[in-house]
Amino acid sequence: MKDSDVINLKEPKLSLGDQFYLPQVKAGLGTTLKHLFQVVVKNKHRVIQYPEEKRDDLPVEEGGMSLRTYRGVHRLNKDEEGRVKCVACFMCSTACPARCIHIEAEESPWADREKYPGKFDIDELRCIYCGMCEEACPVDAIELTHEYDIVGLTRQEMIFDKAKLLEIFDQTVEKEPM
Amino acid sequence: MREFFQSLPPWVFIAVIAHAVVLGTVAYLILLERKVAAWVQDRLGPNRVGPKGLLQPIADGLKFIFKEDYRPAGVDRVLFTLAPAIIIVVAIISIAVVPLGGVHQKTATYDVSGAADPAAAALARVPNGSTVAVGPIIAEEMNPEQERRVLATVTYEYPVQVAKLDIGVLFIIAVLSLAVYGVVIGGWASNNKYSFLGGLRATAQMISYEIPLGLSLLCIVVMFGTLQLDEIENKQAHYWGIRGIPLLPAWNVFAQPMAFLMFLICIHAEANRAPFDLAEAEQELVGGYHTEYSAMRFALFFLAEYAGMITTSAVCVALFFGGWHFPGLSGPDPVHPEVTASMGLILLRCFIFFVKVMVVIFVFMWVRWSLPRFRFDQLMMLAWRALIPLSLLILMATAVVVYAFGPNDRAHMRIGGKMALVLLVVNIVLTGLIMAVSRWLPAAPQTNRKMRIEGSRFETTPVAGATV
Repeated sequence: MKDSDVINLKEPKLSLGDQFYLPQVKAGLGTTLKHLFQVVVKNKHRVIQYPEEKRDDLPVEEGGMSLRTYRGVHRLNKDEEGRVKCVACFMCSTACPARCIHIEAEESPWADREKYPGKFDIDELRCIYCGMCEEACPVDAIELTHEYDIVGLTRQEMIFDKAKLLEIFDQTVEKEPM
Repeated sequence: MREFFQSLPPWVFIAVIAHAVVLGTVAYLILLERKVAAWVQDRLGPNRVGPKGLLQPIADGLKFIFKEDYRPAGVDRVLFTLAPAIIIVVAIISIAVVPLGGVHQKTATYDVSGAADPAAAALARVPNGSTVAVGPIIAEEMNPEQERRVLATVTYEYPVQVAKLDIGVLFIIAVLSLAVYGVVIGGWASNNKYSFLGGLRATAQMISYEIPLGLSLLCIVVMFGTLQLDEIENKQAHYWGIRGIPLLPAWNVFAQPMAFLMFLICIHAEANRAPFDLAEAEQELVGGYHTEYSAMRFALFFLAEYAGMITTSAVCVALFFGGWHFPGLSGPDPVHPEVTASMGLILLRCFIFFVKVMVVIFVFMWVRWSLPRFRFDQLMMLAWRALIPLSLLILMATAVVVYAFGPNDRAHMRIGGKMALVLLVVNIVLTGLIMAVSRWLPAAPQTNRKMRIEGSRFETTPVAGATV
């Protein structure tokens, strides 16, 4: 580090009132009291009562959240015949920075593709919801939905397998078409 | 059973009730603190457990009880157990000398038939801790069974206070400063450097802030010439006014505003509350002296903080806000306004006292969520360069004013309106004087000096010959 890089800051000269602390203390207390009265008397606060009220129901101007670009839990898409769209190409698990996608490929029972995933597990606790898998997928099979309130009682429960991911597709397809 | 309860002196009941009220209030103060914190930050605070979140303290308590009582390796077992006990006992015990509602006057009639000396027998039955005002008046009567009975009527008075102590103010200071032992021992016994640092900070802070605390208390003691808290309280139970028209209750806060302010600052430091919470600064010391504590042991530290707040606020109210006194709550006797025969009035006074204490506690919380924590050198500077000189000056000035204006009748020593006005002027003038003089005081050594980090690439003052 060069001497010229060092910036020496001078302490600001305090006025008589500043030196005595009290006027500044009074100003600070006034600010907090104002906020306190706003909440207690006018009921003006910035709280969203979460499970009853949700940010997605509110307009963005009132603190709401736009779900259009929200990246939530994954789903595995199905095609028109109800078959899993995935071709087990491993592009998503290769792209995944958190290494949370585990695929075991098997020979496809259908004529239009060679492979399909026998197993497709995503560890939702490891996942960082970056959306790289979605970007990497050549057949638009894996997608991130707007669902964020996923819970489980054990870690094992939070590893979503193929059946679960396809089930999420069934639940969300009406709200969020492919 | 009834006999047994009647034989108990009144202070036993007062002690039990005061204890229950303090502990119950402590639990709800924690809820209030969280609510105030939320309101100040535009939030709502806990509102899920019970209506409006009112059962939250019970949920908190349950959680503390059922948590694992963890004791880390290498702690001093005896001291580790002792520290929370010391701090909670000290915090609760000092409420004993705080007068809560004046003096209750009660008239009782005792059957002293068959006693050799009926007067002495009657006096022996007056409850312990009370003084006899009138009597005993001995009378004889015949009961329905035509037996001769000797009845003694005694009017006795007892203060609504657990212990009427002649050295009340001294006792409070002595006991409150013991609280720091809990902090220091807890920090030392934990075998943790952060806890230890917290304990060290607490000692230095306590030593510094005891002095202005004592000096600002002494201003009041000098004014009234007594150390008895109840007497200081009772002597504030009149009014100041012009030509006999009462305008202002004679509370000390109006006569000694700066002493009050310094006292308020010092009890913040004494209670280890923000902005003086250096001993537990969670950002620097990971919780300070109670880092290693869990479950009920931690809860005791936590409760002691709030119990200490109640006690110090109660002392503050007794010394500066007239205690139970409120317009319309005085007793019939103008010389002794604290004496009343009505139990309802006593309860109303206790309620007024409680409300005043709550207001002071609200100020505690309001300050905590408004002001940032002091740096340690700022903390010391505030005590030694501002509070101690100012409190010394005001104490001396008060002594002079008391000498010049003080009443000759020491028994009814009250502060007259003229004297109060002079004290107020003295307070303001001296504060202005200190403010003006402080500019020319020698400056404190610069705290953020550039330190040489020899050999480091962050070295800002290059050593001669070294390559940068």
